[in-house]
Amino acid sequence: MIDCPEAVRRMWAYLDHALARGATEEFETHLDACQRCCGELEFSRHLKELAATSGAESVPDPLRRRIEMLLGGGGTGTDPGTPHD
Amino acid sequence: MIATVMDAQNQPDADGDVDEPGRAFADVAREQLDGLYGYCVRLTSDRTQAEDLVQDTLLRAMRAYPGLRDETKVKSWLFTIATNVWRDLGRARGRTPATVSLDDAVREDDFSLFATLAIEDPFPYSDELHLDFLRLFRDEDVQHVFAQINPVFRAPLILATIHGFSCKEAAAILDVPLGTLLSRLHRGRKQLERGLWDYALRNGLVKVGDEP
Ligand SMILES: [Zn+2]
Repeated sequence: MIDCPEAVRRMWAYLDHALARGATEEFETHLDACQRCCGELEFSRHLKELAATSGAESVPDPLRRRIEMLLGGGGTGTDPGTPHD
Repeated sequence: MIATVMDAQNQPDADGDVDEPGRAFADVAREQLDGLYGYCVRLTSDRTQAEDLVQDTLLRAMRAYPGLRDETKVKSWLFTIATNVWRDLGRARGRTPATVSLDDAVREDDFSLFATLAIEDPFPYSDELHLDFLRLFRDEDVQHVFAQINPVFRAPLILATIHGFSCKEAAAILDVPLGTLLSRLHRGRKQLERGLWDYALRNGLVKVGDEP
């Protein structure tokens, strides 16, 4: 049985579905018996959500225009997406 | 390496093993632009630098695109190029790779935001104290905290948490072994937790018992 510090260490990986099966089972067994870690898991979920949604900005128009120039052939002489014979 | 890429560009179908010509690079670039820009902003923590990084990344990608075999991997391919360009730009500016002392590592690993909130109890009358704490943060506050995280640990956090890459994919993008990625990701999370708490104290978002 893993202890609380070990459970906490696995928590974000668990939320990412990045734990191996054995490690996941140990973690879930711990959760069944530990209210404290259930609370922290819930908190981790919200914390990740906060991090994930922060700073979602759209591309500024001047940059978009620069990119369009570049894609339109301003960057190189050839269109690399089309094979030439 | 560059020469190989240029050769590929001049003779895109010379070996004849590409069944379909695939989509034009411009379409791919337009589709990925928002995500790529978001990655670059968070990686550099600076909008001007991010714009240059996006542009340099797309220039490099445009040249290398004919060599891309698996189009389903185009997102991680672009993010890999962005990561490499970012590294090169840092080197060109004479910045040495960020390092962290062992003492800091131990300090961070011990820190738990969840436990700290329970102990310091900044909202004595709340029954949702942990959520109330997170609700204090506006978007720009979170971005500020993010920017303070050591870039070595920030990059895995951005890739896995924000852009939804698996740890294996993030390791490949950053060109580190999976074990290294996992430990950096953990450190990044700890720096985020400590960063949020320190930011809240410093900016008066919370007041705890002994603070003047
Ligand atoms: Zn526990």
